[in-house]
Amino acid sequence: MNPQTSTRPVQKLSKAVAKCAVEAAAYGKCIMADYNDVYKDKCAREFLRLKDCYLTAVKKA
Amino acid sequence: MSTWRSSSFMSWGKSSLARLAPLNSTQFAAAPRRFYAVASGATRFQVFDRRVKWLQKERSASNEEESRQADYLKDEVAIRLTERLLDIKRHFPKVLDLGANSCNVAKALTRENPDPDPDTPLSPSLSDRIGELIATDSSEARLYRDASHDFNKKIAITRQVVDDEETVSFEPESFDLVLSSLSLHWINDLPGVLSQINNILKPDCPFIGAMLGGDTLFELRTSLQLAEQERRGGMSPHVSPLADVRDVGGLLQKAGFKMLTVDVDDIIVDYPDTFALMQDLQAMGESNAILNREMGPIRRDVLLANDAIYRALHGNPDGSIPATFRIIYMIGWREGENQPKPLARGSGETNLKDILEKKE
Repeated sequence: MNPQTSTRPVQKLSKAVAKCAVEAAAYGKCIMADYNDVYKDKCAREFLRLKDCYLTAVKKA
Repeated sequence: MSTWRSSSFMSWGKSSLARLAPLNSTQFAAAPRRFYAVASGATRFQVFDRRVKWLQKERSASNEEESRQADYLKDEVAIRLTERLLDIKRHFPKVLDLGANSCNVAKALTRENPDPDPDTPLSPSLSDRIGELIATDSSEARLYRDASHDFNKKIAITRQVVDDEETVSFEPESFDLVLSSLSLHWINDLPGVLSQINNILKPDCPFIGAMLGGDTLFELRTSLQLAEQERRGGMSPHVSPLADVRDVGGLLQKAGFKMLTVDVDDIIVDYPDTFALMQDLQAMGESNAILNREMGPIRRDVLLANDAIYRALHGNPDGSIPATFRIIYMIGWREGENQPKPLARGSGETNLKDILEKKE
């Protein structure tokens, strides 16, 4: 990457998220199961997996 | 939605009491009478933070390259808006572009061959029929961004920075045409601005506007709501409340326009992910400016969840995500002397049913 152009945080986020498609799909599926009844931490397990994947992807980059 | 309609009835304020209290009885008699429904323009019902909107427009336009790249929507809508002028065979000596952004309408007016018809070789640019165009916007950086481009030479354009788009400060009956493209959806007092537009038009002259409305960005609205609900147990507004198509006709009528035409057009844009969508919205100067929004950026956890939910709920099979922009086009005419008017109710002499049944 060109060292002169600083990467915006959102671009870093976007790149890392792209590597976690499987985890994102699992989380999305959990929400989709009944989106009329969503409450706090309903899909916490799926979300933590997505977040773990994201954090490792960010570290590697 | 209907918030705008109600806005002119909401100005029953505290300050009227404060103003009357220190006056003695003789002055009291001279104090202006206040009515329950105060004329629009004096509303206290605010939805959008106009100052924040101005800052967003200034900031986004200061990155010229990025904001030009994100102009695809405004350019497209400006072209579709100006195409409506092809049907009005007139010369317009003085034209106003209200909320001009980066003069996308002026650029669209100078397009060559705006009416591609195989029977006629080349149609003249619409700018040939325009005497003078005055483009106003509150954001100086945005208004002057493309001032050095070629299209400026093909049209007599005057740029004018205004304090606030909500007050239209021009002489009454001074314009032959008023245009407005993708700017009215940030106006707090839409009924007020529409009647001000009606006021500055000459008799029998049209106003043609385009604004975002209805289901615009419904995908982002719903997925952000679900993401915040699941991650944080509550939600705050991220996508503006917008006027509905049904409301616009009533608003125009209330503002005194005649011969109304309102129609809707959906433009669906595909993005690689939700971050690209939000980045582009920011570059357009169209980020969130609702007054009671939660301050600060959206949390990273919510953004992560939002991307996953958006994909699951609305995503395209090829992995991209669609974003809908619903554009409401409106045409209204200032009342004029020899204008065609609808006939009185019940004055029809031919039964439509007979004609339609005969045809079969």
